[in-house]
Amino acid sequence: MSAALDSWFAREILVHEQSLERYLRRCWPHRDDVHDLRQDIYVRVYEAAGKALPTAPKSFLFTTARNLMTDRLRRAKVVPIFTVGDFDGLNVLVEDDSLEHVSGRQALARLAAAFDRLPDRCREAVWLRRVEDLPQKAVAQRMGVSEKTVEKHLAKGVRQMAAWYYGGQPVAPTGIAREISDDDGFTRQQAD
Amino acid sequence: MTMDSHDSRRIEHEAAAWLARRDSSAWTERDEAELGAWIEASTARRVAFLRLEAAWAACGRLKALGAGVRSGAVPPRKQWSSLPSVRDTTPADCTPPLAGARRLRAAWAGAALAALIVGGTLGWGWQVYVASEEASYTTRAGEMRTITLADGSRATLSSDSAIDVRLSHRDRRIELRRGEAFFSVAHDATRPFFVAVGGRRAVAVGTRFAVRRDPDEMRIVVTEGSVRLEAQPPRDGSPVPSALLTAGSIATAHGSSVLVRAGSVADAERILSWRSGYLTFHDTSLETAVAEFNRYGSQRLVIGDTATGLLRIGGNFRWSNSEAFVRLLESGFNIRVERLPDRIVLHSR
Repeated sequence: MSAALDSWFAREILVHEQSLERYLRRCWPHRDDVHDLRQDIYVRVYEAAGKALPTAPKSFLFTTARNLMTDRLRRAKVVPIFTVGDFDGLNVLVEDDSLEHVSGRQALARLAAAFDRLPDRCREAVWLRRVEDLPQKAVAQRMGVSEKTVEKHLAKGVRQMAAWYYGGQPVAPTGIAREISDDDGFTRQQAD
Repeated sequence: MTMDSHDSRRIEHEAAAWLARRDSSAWTERDEAELGAWIEASTARRVAFLRLEAAWAACGRLKALGAGVRSGAVPPRKQWSSLPSVRDTTPADCTPPLAGARRLRAAWAGAALAALIVGGTLGWGWQVYVASEEASYTTRAGEMRTITLADGSRATLSSDSAIDVRLSHRDRRIELRRGEAFFSVAHDATRPFFVAVGGRRAVAVGTRFAVRRDPDEMRIVVTEGSVRLEAQPPRDGSPVPSALLTAGSIATAHGSSVLVRAGSVADAERILSWRSGYLTFHDTSLETAVAEFNRYGSQRLVIGDTATGLLRIGGNFRWSNSEAFVRLLESGFNIRVERLPDRIVLHSR
């Protein structure tokens, strides 16, 4: 599909991730489902936008979220008693610190805060690769680990950066930076 | 759709692994094709990948924090304010970066404070290290995409093309690895915009132009402003011969020679009609036209004999529809079409 659509999606939809996740957590009883709900919402929005770009992307995003939750509730055999049935009643456009409204400087500050939350080795790999522009091979040498390990650090790094930068949420429930062991390549310790 | 809450996380992990692998030096064309297939398989994968890709691109902006940091040293956390020439920033410059900081849990408060300090310090850093970016973009055969670079410039990649982008505070460097790309350059007199092809480069400021790379030839078409075409400068800084190309120019560099044809902007635009999905021919040999179609389409066209190749044609064709082009040749010209599984051969009747 087109790159124009991809960049539209990043520009108009991803910037609202923080508000969206907050909305989902407020409406949906199971926190564990939020990641999956968000993904399905993104899929619906992307596919709909592929046919025709919505004129008001943000309200389209939240309408999609509401519809998706309604659909899921309808299909669920047992409706949890504490579920709020009427999503319409909820104020969707909550306090707006979504990325679209922050200046370049503020976005950078958010990026820096996200970066500081990465585990040490992961943070080091992202810095060397992304700020110092070292190729992965050189990053591996500098850190004294295999290239495969650097790749794993970067993969983890990009996921966490996305979660913090777009969502303002930690990937792992604790949000505490944890060390990744390099002994035998890579030991996964993260809770996500 | 699935109710399995682990599915979206699995996809995200896979997308991250792909992204990191693509970033490595061992990445091949075949890997690229495999990644393409992986993404194509579902929209869930596509959105997961594009989300991480966007975050990865955003990470390039961390370069703004690298100012004044010794190379090879990763700064400790929350130490951004200790950067030289940053400490003096007055609090008045600090805009609270997180409007919702009050509502954040206590555990986050420290981070928010750090972000606040960074927000203040960057008044300096941001101006110096504006919009840095390092990335590679590719298109497959038959695909075309427009990318907005961090400085606001736009690059439209033609079919089967690849560029490496490197934007820094000093300059903006693009390497055209293959194919053709049209650039609409954001004006920034302090940072020249270079497009390098082999030993040559085009230098522009606030201009619109296209660069195409063929095996032994480079072509530049300028539609607005002007572009300087020069050899890559030697390390000693000695001057290099250059040619100034004004709007409407079509320059072809071949070996050590450069041929410049100064024409109208309309002519130049016509050559670049691929951007709107068309191939425009005007008294063009069928051989050339077929070569153009083969750049774009997935169906390979082959000239069967010399006479066919010499035929002159003109017109506007959708490059995604080589079949329509072939049918037109079949019905309007003295051409017999032979359809084989892997190619279409054009013969004189």
